[in-house]
Amino acid sequence: MKLTGRYAGLLLLVLSILVAASSLALAQIGPDIPREETLIVDILTGRNPNPRRFNAWAPGTTLDAGIQQLMLDTLWCVEYAQGEILNVVAAAPPMYNDDYTQMTVKLREGLYWSDGVAFTADDLVFTVETLKANPGMNYQAEFDMFVKEVYKTDDYTVVFELKEPNSRFHTYFLNRWGACRIMPKHIWENVDNPMAFDFYPPVSLGQYVLKDVDPGGYWFLWEKREDWERTAVGQLYGEPKPRYVLFHFYGPPERKVIAQSRHELDMCDLTMESLQASWENPGFRTYRKEYPWIVNIDPCITGITFNALVEPFDNKDVRWALALAMDIVDVMALSFDGAGVMGALLVPPTPVYLDWYYEPMEEWLREFTLDIEVDGAPFKPYDPGAAKRLADYAAGRGYDVPDDPAKQREIFGYGWWKYAPEVAAQLLERNGFSRDKDGGWLLPDGTPWKITITSHPNPAHPAYKNSFAIAQQWRRFGIEVEVVTTEQYNTLATYGQFEVSSVWPAYEPWGGHPDMYRTLRMWDSDLHRPVGEVTYGHQGRWSHPDLDVIIDKLEKIGFDDPELIPLAIEGLKITTAEMPSIATFGYPGFVGWDETYWTNYPGAENPYQQPYQHWPNFKFMLPFLEPAGNK
Amino acid sequence: MPFLKRYLLPRIVQYLVVIFIGGTLVFIIPRLMPVDPVQQTLQRITIQGAFLDPRAIEQIRETLLELYGLKGSLMEQYFALWHRLLRGDFGPSYVQFPTPVMTLIKISLPWTVGLLVTTTVLSWTVGNILGGIAAYYSHRRWAQLMENVAMVIRPIPYYIIALALLLLLAYAVPIFPVTGGFSIGRSFVLSWGLVLDILKHAFLPALSLAIVGTATWFMTMRLLVSNLLAEDYIVYAQIAGVQDGEILYNYAIRNAMLPQVTGLTLSLGQIFGGALITETVFSYPGLGTLLYSSINSGDYNLMMGITLLSVVAIATGVLIMDLIYPFLDPRIRYE
Repeated sequence: MKLTGRYAGLLLLVLSILVAASSLALAQIGPDIPREETLIVDILTGRNPNPRRFNAWAPGTTLDAGIQQLMLDTLWCVEYAQGEILNVVAAAPPMYNDDYTQMTVKLREGLYWSDGVAFTADDLVFTVETLKANPGMNYQAEFDMFVKEVYKTDDYTVVFELKEPNSRFHTYFLNRWGACRIMPKHIWENVDNPMAFDFYPPVSLGQYVLKDVDPGGYWFLWEKREDWERTAVGQLYGEPKPRYVLFHFYGPPERKVIAQSRHELDMCDLTMESLQASWENPGFRTYRKEYPWIVNIDPCITGITFNALVEPFDNKDVRWALALAMDIVDVMALSFDGAGVMGALLVPPTPVYLDWYYEPMEEWLREFTLDIEVDGAPFKPYDPGAAKRLADYAAGRGYDVPDDPAKQREIFGYGWWKYAPEVAAQLLERNGFSRDKDGGWLLPDGTPWKITITSHPNPAHPAYKNSFAIAQQWRRFGIEVEVVTTEQYNTLATYGQFEVSSVWPAYEPWGGHPDMYRTLRMWDSDLHRPVGEVTYGHQGRWSHPDLDVIIDKLEKIGFDDPELIPLAIEGLKITTAEMPSIATFGYPGFVGWDETYWTNYPGAENPYQQPYQHWPNFKFMLPFLEPAGNK
Repeated sequence: MPFLKRYLLPRIVQYLVVIFIGGTLVFIIPRLMPVDPVQQTLQRITIQGAFLDPRAIEQIRETLLELYGLKGSLMEQYFALWHRLLRGDFGPSYVQFPTPVMTLIKISLPWTVGLLVTTTVLSWTVGNILGGIAAYYSHRRWAQLMENVAMVIRPIPYYIIALALLLLLAYAVPIFPVTGGFSIGRSFVLSWGLVLDILKHAFLPALSLAIVGTATWFMTMRLLVSNLLAEDYIVYAQIAGVQDGEILYNYAIRNAMLPQVTGLTLSLGQIFGGALITETVFSYPGLGTLLYSSINSGDYNLMMGITLLSVVAIATGVLIMDLIYPFLDPRIRYE
């Protein structure tokens, strides 16, 4: 084709525009912010429509764009990679009196707010009193319920007098993606309406201070404080390496893949699919460098929850039958191509919880029997070989899987329930269920059994993947199953308007501490409400009188009492035997890291820290990152 | 003043009734959704780790119901809504409590208006001119080429076009930024540099909208003008030797403009609902994502604020159009 003068001119114009645009484009960050001194991380919770609001004590404020990671330290912080509680602003663990009606907190000395004012006990006392006096603010209800009086005995010691015994009062200040943070008294004491106050520009207690925000709410730029050594992280771990930290919301996973290909995003959460698309990006790595790539220390367990107030899920036999009708290897293969750590207990199978609960309970699990006989003997539902079967599946898919059984257990978990559809059938039949001529299950009243699973709408979320994988298992067993995905699945579950849901099957434990009170308490019978009312306990609305007794006992002992684990084990035996929810596998976190500018991320080969940028613990990672040397 | 009495006043009453009905609907519809704003707030606090005593949650719930103005009967809430609206107050956002809804809208509105007004007007102008020309010279090869291109573009889902542009010009040939309204760390003080930076960031979202918009207006205008070409007055003009350009602009396009101008008015009014897909694909700040998140979180006031703004904008646009129609088309008379 021959270009005429007119067409050639048009082409030239288009090319000129593109060249001009490219000269303007360059990098995303401005010239005053050297890329090699800047760590760019994703914001988990998305765009902040109110970017100049830093009031962390009012509900709704976006916290994971730097407030909780870099700006406001808490007294203590859960560290779930190592399984410990860190003293951050506190100098020591909390000290309770014998009946847990008084808690004393020793504060770290030598800390300063970013405007140069010393941090003291006055700040903590002021914070508690201010929050307690302002309904609607975070922790107002808790402090109103428990705090009789709070006072200082010296500049670094605060005493809480409690209205009633509470052995876990300190957990309101224990950061686990959320805790009560401390206000700078010298700023807030002049504020008339604490709820409406934006706290902008904010004063920081952390090692970084806000430098700039996007008026559109997509990014927040933080700069290292010159006096970083006068912060808790400075005292604990030394100087953070990046001069700037940029929190930037990139949007859907494909955008993050593009941003990482341009080396404009160092740390982010991805999905299984986008992670696989990222392998082409130079400098890209995941938490585990080889299959199954995932973060295996995330303290959440995925699975499926039954509504124990809805027939036939109020029947333990039915719940167990549905568990035995699932092949966990198939479920995990369908969900995440086998990448995950299976967990039979309603406890996340992270390395620390494997040590605290799975290991001590494994013998009990092997011997545990259901109230049904197979071949004349009580049926033992636990399958210690399930992880091996999953490893074989992965090897069959061509992935490099270690032969060492111990390594396989670390990667794939300890075991799960047997795939035993014939036993499941026995359990159902003894409760009046029957099959039609096509093998489909009928309810005891003779009508076809149809299960509706209410699920998370995001196809990348484990709750979504679990729902469809489990639905397929149950369909294969002969039950008609429909999966309804809705943004409101959590609200529906809270009101009890569901049969089966993929909400978290158990409330998350602390993550870095063996105390299971936080999880078991949610099944306390006094928290449950009828269908149609909001429940304040677990959404499954299941409870058991024996578990109530254990919860009462846990409530009365301290956070580090040696009876904590034995009592929790007794509680977990009840939840296992009753099967209120079916645990499937630990939350598989997919993180993507670009090593072009920064290295020494806390990957599986060196998990010195939890690996996410959105957790408050992110701050502890920064002194250990190393510049890669690229400009 | 028969115009005032027989047309303008009834038309203004109709305009107010439309807004009233719109306001009533945006009050009712969110409340029919299976979403509880207080529960959403509690979930945000608890879902990712913060530990709240379950008994305290019950107390917080009561407090939030009170603060959000959700206590009392629906009628009481409804009257409270109009009481606020008549004072120009949409109330506080629940998600960003107690930040006023208007504050949140003001943050996002300039980005949406800047992007969508520009692209809507641009694509309307270009699409109509090209559509008219292509219809008049439909036998020419270049006109057929334009028509074929528009026919290919128009049925493609917008999301695909946006994503394709992003992949092409931000990934394969990375000459445009992936995200945002302007460069990170740049001072937001008015200067040529800032304007260029904003234009650079708006280029891909604007291009995606302009491509689809132009194709749509092109096809509609082409159809309208094609129909007009068979009209007697155009045939007569051609026989009479009137110049092609004059026939095209003064006889064909001008007569085809009326529905297009109405369409433009509606499009401009709809701007206030934002451009959700554009904002999501390009991470561009605007009202679309704000509206979307307000729906998900049950932020009734924010939802009502944005929607009502759109209702008022569209109703006002249509009212203005009704009033200026006679200037556009002399055949229309208010008698």
